[in-house]
Amino acid sequence: MTSETGFDTRLYDNFPTREERPQGELEELERIWRAPTGWGRLTIVNNNYVGLWYVAAAFLFFLLAGVLALAMRVQLALPLNGILPQETYNQFFTMHGTVMMFLFAVPAVEALGVMLLPQMLAARDLPFPRLSAYAFWAYLVGGLCFFASLFFGLAPNGGWFMYPPLTSMAYSPGINADFWLLGIGFIEISAIAGAIEIIVGVLRTRAPGMSLDKMPIFAWAMLVFACMIVIAFPAVILGTLLLEFERAFNWSFFDPTRGGDPLLWQHLFWFFGHPEVYIIFLPAAALVSTMVAGLAKTPLVGHNLIVLAFLATGFISFGVWSHHMFATGMPRLSVGFFSAASTAVSVPAGIQVFSWIATFAAGTPRYNTPTLFVIGGLVTFVIGGLTGVMVAMVPFDWQAHDTHFIVAHLHYVLIGGMVFPLFAAFYFWIGMTSRRALSERLGKWSFWLMFAGMQITFLPMHLTGLMGMLRRVYTYLPGRSWEVTNMISTVGAFILAAGVVVFLIDLARNFRFTVEDDAGNVYGGGTLEWLPTGLYSTRSIPVIRSRYPLWDDPELCKIVEEGRYLLPNSATGRRETIVTSPLRAEPEYLQIMPGPSVWPLLAAVFTAGFFVILTIQAYTPALISGVLAVLAVIRWLWETDRPVAAQHADVGGGIMLPTYVTGPRTHGWWAMVILLIVIAMILLMSVFSYLYLYGIHPSFWRSPPDNLWLLPILSGYALAAGLPLLARGLLKREKTTLWTPPVLMFVAAVALVVAVALEFRSWRSIGLDPQLSGQAAMIYAFLSLQGTMTAISMLMTGYLMARNARGLIVRPHNNTFDLTTMFVVYSAAQGGFIAALTHLFPGAV
Amino acid sequence: MRTWAYLLGGLVVWTVHFFGLYIFGSVFPQTTLARILSGLLTLAALAADAILLWRAGTASMAQAGREELGRWTDYLAALSAAISLIAVFWQGLPVLIA
Repeated sequence: MTSETGFDTRLYDNFPTREERPQGELEELERIWRAPTGWGRLTIVNNNYVGLWYVAAAFLFFLLAGVLALAMRVQLALPLNGILPQETYNQFFTMHGTVMMFLFAVPAVEALGVMLLPQMLAARDLPFPRLSAYAFWAYLVGGLCFFASLFFGLAPNGGWFMYPPLTSMAYSPGINADFWLLGIGFIEISAIAGAIEIIVGVLRTRAPGMSLDKMPIFAWAMLVFACMIVIAFPAVILGTLLLEFERAFNWSFFDPTRGGDPLLWQHLFWFFGHPEVYIIFLPAAALVSTMVAGLAKTPLVGHNLIVLAFLATGFISFGVWSHHMFATGMPRLSVGFFSAASTAVSVPAGIQVFSWIATFAAGTPRYNTPTLFVIGGLVTFVIGGLTGVMVAMVPFDWQAHDTHFIVAHLHYVLIGGMVFPLFAAFYFWIGMTSRRALSERLGKWSFWLMFAGMQITFLPMHLTGLMGMLRRVYTYLPGRSWEVTNMISTVGAFILAAGVVVFLIDLARNFRFTVEDDAGNVYGGGTLEWLPTGLYSTRSIPVIRSRYPLWDDPELCKIVEEGRYLLPNSATGRRETIVTSPLRAEPEYLQIMPGPSVWPLLAAVFTAGFFVILTIQAYTPALISGVLAVLAVIRWLWETDRPVAAQHADVGGGIMLPTYVTGPRTHGWWAMVILLIVIAMILLMSVFSYLYLYGIHPSFWRSPPDNLWLLPILSGYALAAGLPLLARGLLKREKTTLWTPPVLMFVAAVALVVAVALEFRSWRSIGLDPQLSGQAAMIYAFLSLQGTMTAISMLMTGYLMARNARGLIVRPHNNTFDLTTMFVVYSAAQGGFIAALTHLFPGAV
Repeated sequence: MRTWAYLLGGLVVWTVHFFGLYIFGSVFPQTTLARILSGLLTLAALAADAILLWRAGTASMAQAGREELGRWTDYLAALSAAISLIAVFWQGLPVLIA
């Protein structure tokens, strides 16, 4: 068999091993992976706990946003109703959409990834468990603070996509919009942290032998999902920053009277916003694909086609953002392109739907709750998909735009495509984490109430919209024929809510959290998450030879539990997992994993504190909170990247793996590359904004400073890029004193500071004012981005020197050193690019 | 990276084609130049997809002695090129009719 890494795959034949495992091995595993108790629970980083908390928190936000929806439906039940005043209604619909999209849908699927992936891949945990914990706590604390703004009448009120000029200072003078901008920007950081964790986890911690063709369909979806987050979310992060800069400092990004353009916001928002729909849908579709196979007791029909559909959706969904802007007067040819892409994206979705139907037809499905939710979701999603193709037609979209037809369409897509599959997943996978399965009887009640409620609420809403009722109006006059359909929708909403209440009763009666003695594989799934597990995940890590290992090898659970596969113990006496190669999942090295820690929790609390306090404009406490967050992160990282005494460890079957490796094959390297892609995407979207504003309002643009400025600026960046590479080369030379490389790195960071300062000075020399033109505002935005990168580079190089002082930088290579090198070199390259672009275009070019 | 580039080749062609069309349509709005450039790019993308499809398709059909992952990669690369071929063609139609 071809090898990807030079690993001898014949060693797989040594498994399952025959010899008895030593006494006490399992007890040691349990001791090492044990979770703290009492208040110490807050420091837990095991995915079993964090994943479940994450799911529970997301579900809490679903309930909260659902309550807002019910209040809105009561308000709209009758014309001229007086339940919610206009301003409160505005806040309710904004919070409903925002919370459902940002605090429920994306986190819920990310949470399921954290909970299911390690078990599905037979890893001990995801590669950065503390990052998962940080992402969860940041999301929970930040999300709750954000939601609490509603109780003070300070919640955002400009709709979940916050279009300026409505959300600019002129029309939204309070801090309501700031809550959205800072709160969502912050929650996106949490989502990106989770995405990095998932990408590295899926590509690098799969069980040996689980090559790409044998990877579970859910892992494929989570991989595409996380990559889409990395590409899409930087656009909304940039958008929120620009709008906040405009609101706080009066920089003119979106004001057409000063060279800005409000449509720039729409481009940035929807470049994120439409892929976001697929970001939500893909993991849910993968849950369905996994469940359909289990429920029908047959392999998924068209597995490869579904993988292709995920990949194709991941690409094509980035070509549809402007279909939300058909009514804005874009060039006709561009409108045609976006309309074509919007219809094309339905093809991959269709592939999945036909595959699910075929799998059910090929297998032997039973009448049970998850099957009902899956089929109900399928029917609902198809209806939403069909109305989606309708609104992809431009003339129809012009008629339906901003009406209740759109509200109906998006709820059909999201509830059918995500909410029903999620409830199916609750019933299907609850046996992994609860002593008792959920009740079939209550489950069926819950389904029928939710399904009927959904159709009763949203089917008439299509008519309400076609009869002309606009969305986001808090009331309407009698006599416009909207009363009947509105009343039906309100009744339906309460039926839907009743279904959710039945589910909550079921949870209260039957859900009992456990890690050890769970209810197990109630519906007979064939993938690895159904192996017997403890807090250490599986006792031993099996060699994978098929897509449904549990179906193909009925003895697998027993053999794994007996410790007769890889890593049946703790080879180093610490938490560890096997890192494998990305294509063929060949064992590469043993990753030593961090255990429970309070620092991710504190870092998350102070990060949330920074953003929330900043919103209420208490700048000094916000700054203190920000500094504390940075200190907590540094303290958390301080314990990591330490080689262990044994350079190699025996993981069973004659396989010896290194315990410390450096360079491009490490999980840390991969994570840094992904982080730099995120930053590069922010840069790319900034470049788009810069060119876009030039294209719209060239008359506001002025000549850049003298090109002579470029010489010292680019020299500074060249020095900042060259020194880290030199330092990395020197580190491996025994003759070099250990202080030289970190000091060179620090000098590189200082060179960055000098280059940014010169760049700033050059623009000040021609009197550029960000309040007066879009060009100046964008240049200041570029400088802000570069300044932030420079500050982080200073921090990282200072941290490197501190580690060096404590003897934690080791020859010939060191991961902390490598990662700092990558960051500083990237920062220098980015700075050079920005300087060249802004000084040479427009003008020289 | 070579495997990933091969696997996703068709979809990368679609991406280049789509953003090319968007740039032409935005930089030269309502002009014949935009249509000509878009048409040329569409032809180039169709050619690239056809080459990818032919290469991956023939490799996928030459199954004898191939290992599982290799066959799977060829198959998926061919599918990706095929779906891209259709999508690029569809995406290029507004040049003729819009």
